[in-house]
Amino acid sequence: MTLLPDTDEVTLSLPAGPEFVRLARVTATGLASRLGFSWDEIEDLRLAVDELCHAVIGPSGRDGVIRLHYLVEPGGLCVEGRGYFDPGGPPVGLGDLGHQILSALVDEHDVRDEEGQPVVWFRKKAATARGTDGGA
Amino acid sequence: MAEPESRDELRALFEEFARSRSDAVRDHLVNAHLGLAEYLARRFANRGEPLDDLIQVASIGLVKAVDRFDPERPVEFSTYATHTIVGELKRHFRDKGWAVRAPRRLQELYLRLGQVVAELSQELGRSPTVAELAAEMQASEEEVLEAMEAGQAYRFASLDAPAPGPDDEGSSTLASQLGEDDLTMAAAEDRAALSPLLAALPPREQRILFLRFFQGLTQSEIATQLGISQMHVSRLLARSLSQLRAVAAEK
Repeated sequence: MTLLPDTDEVTLSLPAGPEFVRLARVTATGLASRLGFSWDEIEDLRLAVDELCHAVIGPSGRDGVIRLHYLVEPGGLCVEGRGYFDPGGPPVGLGDLGHQILSALVDEHDVRDEEGQPVVWFRKKAATARGTDGGA
Repeated sequence: MAEPESRDELRALFEEFARSRSDAVRDHLVNAHLGLAEYLARRFANRGEPLDDLIQVASIGLVKAVDRFDPERPVEFSTYATHTIVGELKRHFRDKGWAVRAPRRLQELYLRLGQVVAELSQELGRSPTVAELAAEMQASEEEVLEAMEAGQAYRFASLDAPAPGPDDEGSSTLASQLGEDDLTMAAAEDRAALSPLLAALPPREQRILFLRFFQGLTQSEIATQLGISQMHVSRLLARSLSQLRAVAAEK
């Protein structure tokens, strides 16, 4: 059941502190719920958003802003987090374990550095869109 | 515990501490006011954080208050300390991303949600959607999602013990299920050797992480396999990932 047009995009700009990650999760789960994601998938999505945000802002946050783009696609959701920080901060990213975790939680993900700013994105499809029933 | 002391005696001790900065006097002053710290910690209880943790946080606030209190100023220590301790407690909740005023209604909805998720999963043979859960609980989808988020506090409610609640009764048997001969666990240990970060977690968290992130089982499948609720798996996963980030941050 897709209630949103396929091209909808939601953008959220947050201070880059851990206390705001909640809002990133709520936005993602709100969109996923409308896309018919199952409870298990939404739980995974929440963890994935946490991983994404912390990969951008680091474990304890940074001075600056994280901008999240939620792209509603047919049967799935694409989330991109982009940091806007002063140059010269500590390097951030996922690490091997972080990559492993995101691989299990979402269908596709990637981390890159754009002009010194961290960019992390992932795509997660609902099981119904993958033609499976109740899968991860 | 220190003997109760009169206000005059305490004021004299504060004046002495202001002069000497003696550790012994400082300890004495802290001990004399632990009751205040505990009293304030209790006022923040029932918000998803274990009381012991809150008392510890309040005690840190108390120590700060003793260190910073200036007996020359015309203000009672208890008034001054109350502000410092409450500030410390509020910061504790804020750092956890938990709104201090999270409505009890949502917490209750979250606790009920655990049961309904289990029942509907059983009935449907798959993980239910939010719309299905909302219909079953006679709540809106937004309320279900808000309750899920409100449950975040419970996810971190207890770092060392299973959180209380009817859906957690399987947790005590979980440790006993983790026998040394368990082949899955042995494989998990191999993975842990690949990642020293994972090795920092308790065995059952390692196992759940292994099943979810290396074996690809869903939360519901892990719950069934371990005989615990999906909500408990969810809590343990969120907590473990948070701990891993903290460990990574220290390195």
